Amino acid sequence: MARDRWRDRKAGPVVRPYALTGGRTEPAGREVLDLITIIVATDPAERGSDPIELSPEDRRILGLCRRPVTVTDVASITELPLGVVRVLLADLIARGRITVVPQQPAAKQPSGDLLKEVLHGLRAL
Amino acid sequence: MGSGRSDSRPDGLFAAFKIVVAGGFGAGKTTLVGAVSEVRPLHTEETLSSASIGTDDVGDVSGKTTTTVAMDFGRITISARLVLYLFGTPGQERFWFMWDELSHGALGAVVLADTRRLDDCFPAVDYFERCRLPFLVAINCFDGAARHDPEDVRIALDLDRTVPVIQCDARQHDSVKQVLITLVEHVLARRPSAPRKAPAGPVAAASATAPAARPSFAP
Repeated sequence: MARDRWRDRKAGPVVRPYALTGGRTEPAGREVLDLITIIVATDPAERGSDPIELSPEDRRILGLCRRPVTVTDVASITELPLGVVRVLLADLIARGRITVVPQQPAAKQPSGDLLKEVLHGLRAL
Repeated sequence: MGSGRSDSRPDGLFAAFKIVVAGGFGAGKTTLVGAVSEVRPLHTEETLSSASIGTDDVGDVSGKTTTTVAMDFGRITISARLVLYLFGTPGQERFWFMWDELSHGALGAVVLADTRRLDDCFPAVDYFERCRLPFLVAINCFDGAARHDPEDVRIALDLDRTVPVIQCDARQHDSVKQVLITLVEHVLARRPSAPRKAPAGPVAAASATAPAARPSFAP
């Protein structure tokens, strides 16, 4: 787990979070990665992956992206700060390793059918 | 029960929704989220700069600071292809920037009200009215707290009559579930293309309409 490597029990994080991004705090590219943006690996089998090209964090994220997953879940599971995850994800998008699953544009209204599906799901909770 | 649609895609998650849970400090936001969902941690290390222009390197931007916000969120698996997130708003004022992040693209919001400190939820009501996010007010009925008529709360908060005001017990699964159902129904009813239905009335008591408890399932 990332926690074991980057977090000392007493001292807290042993590497400043943005060291993992080369100091960058803003994601590359124009893609706005919302908390609930869904991403997925372009090559779930990770064929032809070059281990030198990818950091351990990249590899971990790619592993999570074998199935569609939200930005929030990637940040929560890796225990990396959200801002760091956004930068790493944007890099992986720019390198063609992952892609954003098209959804309803965030600011627009989701379809009534989807909302009804949510409603049914909530009633069954 | 909600899944099993014939057009379900076999490759998993297809859509994600988020609901914002707001309210004053100690109103029971965390309790409410935990009553219906699997709670997970989320760390944010956000840059506190209002003007984030282009690409930047922290090293050459003086006065730019980052702040760590540790927050929990709730995750409800609606079906294999749908997931619903519940995000509580950070209480402290210095985390206002997170409200925009959480509210952008949200389905709607729950304003959890503690009638002992009703004015604590004014900022949340103002915020969601301003950004036109559908919301409801859920009065958390604490033990021993005087019961308030939802209509009185509506007047005190100067709410539009279309905003649902309901009572709930943030500790109770079925009660919180009914809060979320009421919110999604409210969102559906507000949709311009939604078929006209007879309004259920401005006040719906969650306890009165809660369906019988069913065993929860977690795929």
